[in-house]
Order: sequence, then C-alpha cells, then structure tokens
Amino acid sequence: MYLLEPTHRAFELLFAGDPRLLQAIWLSTWTSVVAIALIAPPSVALGFLLAKRRFPGQRALFVLVQALLSFPTVVIGLLIYLLLSRRGPMGALELLFTPTAIIFGYMMIALPILVVFTVSAVQGADPRVYETARCLGAGRVRAAWTTLWEVRFGVLAAVVNGFGRVVSEVGCAIMVGGNIEGLTRNIPTAIALETSKGDFAQGVALGMVLMSVALGVNIALAALQGKGGLR
Amino acid sequence: MSALLAVSRLEKDFGARALLRIDRLEIEQGGAYLLTGANGSGKTTLLRILSGLEPARAGEFRFREQALALMPYPERLRREVVYVHQHPYLFQTSLRHNLEYGLRCRGVPAAERARRVAEAIAWAGMEALRAAPPAKLSGGEKQRVALARARALEPELLLLDEPTANLDEDGRRRTLALLERLRDERRTVVVACHDAEVIALEGFARLHLADGEVALAATER
Repeated sequence: MYLLEPTHRAFELLFAGDPRLLQAIWLSTWTSVVAIALIAPPSVALGFLLAKRRFPGQRALFVLVQALLSFPTVVIGLLIYLLLSRRGPMGALELLFTPTAIIFGYMMIALPILVVFTVSAVQGADPRVYETARCLGAGRVRAAWTTLWEVRFGVLAAVVNGFGRVVSEVGCAIMVGGNIEGLTRNIPTAIALETSKGDFAQGVALGMVLMSVALGVNIALAALQGKGGLR
Repeated sequence: MSALLAVSRLEKDFGARALLRIDRLEIEQGGAYLLTGANGSGKTTLLRILSGLEPARAGEFRFREQALALMPYPERLRREVVYVHQHPYLFQTSLRHNLEYGLRCRGVPAAERARRVAEAIAWAGMEALRAAPPAKLSGGEKQRVALARARALEPELLLLDEPTANLDEDGRRRTLALLERLRDERRTVVVACHDAEVIALEGFARLHLADGEVALAATER
C-alpha cells in the first residue's frame, strides 16, 4: 500500500495534465535537446581529432576530458554558478537562474561523454576507412565526416548517452537554475523537491515520465541502429 | 613515352631498419607495371608512399615533369593517384555510393556521375550486384568494386596492392581479367604482386624490389 497509493495518484496527475507537471516535463525536454544539439558537433569533432591526430598536449587533453567524466555535476554547477553570479566574470549577462544557465551546465556535463564515446567509436573504426576516403580524393574534413558516418552507431550512442545524462541530472540544474517553479524547475529538480516535501505522488509521476523518456530515446536508438548496431 | 612520375633517392626507415633505398624510380605515362618482391620487401610501403599514405624522404619527386614535395604529400595529387588496398574497404552504404564517392569529391555533376557509375558497373561485370549491400559481398566482389571505383575516377596513376591475394578461383580469374583490361586501356597502373598468375600476365613491365632497391627487370610493352 505504501507504494501503490502514490503510484495511483501519480497516474491521476499525469492523465489530468497537471500544469506544474507538464511545465517541468517541457523544460527538461527542451533544455536537454538544445544543450545536446549545441554541444554535440564540437564534441564529436574534438573526439575525432583526439582519436586520429597527433598534436602537442593531446594526451593531457584526453586525460582532462576523461577526468571531467567523473566530476560531480554539482561541482560543475558550482563553477558555472561562480561564472554567472553577479560578481562573476559573466555576471553582466544575468543568466543565473534561467533556462540558459541550465543549458550551459548541461553542455559542460555532456561534453566529456560525447568526446570519450566518439574517441572510442573512431578508434574502433577500420583504419582503411579514412585512408580509402583520402585515396579517393576526399579532403581531410570530408574523410573525417566519412569515418564518422561509418561509425555512426557509436556516435549516435554517444549522443544518446549524453542526452540521458543531462535529462536526469539534478545537482547542476538546482545550482544554476534555482529550481524556480514555472521557470527553471525541471523533472529531476521537481522530484527532489516534491519528495523532500513528502509529496511522493508528484515524484513518482515525474520519475515515470523520466524513465519513459529514457526508454523512448533508447528504443529510438535501437530502431535507428537496426541490425547495424549489433554487428 | 614520358615519365608520369619520377622519384630519386627515396628513403624509408622502419625504426632503425632501412626499408627502402631507391636511387631512382620512373613510371611512364600509360605504362603497366608489376611490382614484385619477397614478403616484407616493402612493396606495399612503396605504393603507400607514392599515394601519400606513408611519409618518406625523397631527393627529388616529379609528377608530369613538375617538381613537387613528397612530404607533405600534395593535396592535388590525391585526385590523380589512387591506391587500392590489398583488402579494399567498401563504405557501408550502397554500391552506387561507393562508386560515386570519389566523383562527388571531385564535384562531378549528377548526370555525369550516373553515367560513370553505370559504366563502372558494366566494366567490372557487377550488374547482378547492383542492389547488394557492400558488407555482403565476397572478397573477389569487393576487389572488383574497388577496382571499378578507382578506375571511374580516371586517375593518372593507379596503384593496386596485391589485388588477387586471398581470393577464390573465380575471384582471381575475374580480377586478372580486369587487370588485363586496365593494361589494354593503357591506364598507368602499378600492381604489387607475388601471385604467380599475376606475375605471368603479359604486357606488363616488371619492377623488382629487393634489399630496398627497385630494379626494372624487363619491359614487355
């Protein structure tokens, strides 16, 4: 009964189209999508360079990116908070406690995931892909694009993992978004708040949405990959 | 015939080992060559150097009488020299995309691309494979696609690395026939090989690589 009652109420809230619930869902979705759309292209490019090119500081850069993977998101949130706070170097932009600040934080969180997954995908590519493209007359950029296309399932997995990480992230979003209802309250921050208030139904409802989003994105990935992803 | 490519004092080391020490190598325009040599003699490395895939030192490098640097390899030569791997890679897209990839790189218009792709399919006798996914092709079929893909670009110089290696009898027979067609079309082609049947092909000049040196054994053209 302890679990059934809030779950039952959660379904009621979801089907009734509770506006607070819908706002949080909408904010989570669009900020995550925008953050990934903005950070994926430069991250994938950086991942390709780290995997394929030799340049001074390459190893150190890769170690740094890998280290960022294990950074607590709340620390990333703290750094962005300090940057965006009134007395910080970017304080004049007045972005703190706005969805833009959350997007900025999400981008920093997704970057190492996208880079490291891309490095792994490109390193796993057949070395003849890039050489063949070059031998057939492709310039460096086109040959790089061809290689990324050949390992597109790995790159797609990077994007999906990055999205999964940010859509469920709570520490950074609270820190730089402020968890303001109707403005910066998204699914994970709402779950944290409602649960702390003892409103388990809201938490359960939002948790179900979050899990549905994660499941939906991964089903879409599996469908896109088809048999190719399981080779 | 005039020299399409001439390189002198070509040097390539692998660690402390001197792999290639070629005093002079000339490839004539329209010439067909077989490059022979023992395993590990540097045949593949030489072809990869000439196609810009491996760095090497050279005293002088000339292409169509023009002095060029071999390192870094001139970008424009990548449109004129095409190397085909021993085990060619086909992009995991479609046969058509593979055949027109290099043409797209060269900005060839769609109508011309379609014409050349159709011609390439006919040239290599691949009509039955038109709809086959590249991953499903056999080694011999992949080799034929790769040869057709390279030839469709009408390069100045074709460098083929052991095109019959590890092919079944049918694949070898068909590939040998394509090599003879390239020779008859007077394409400038260098074929690295240690396959007796390829070595027995008539009308190819023999280049032999031993102790890091290339010697022109005999010219049968």
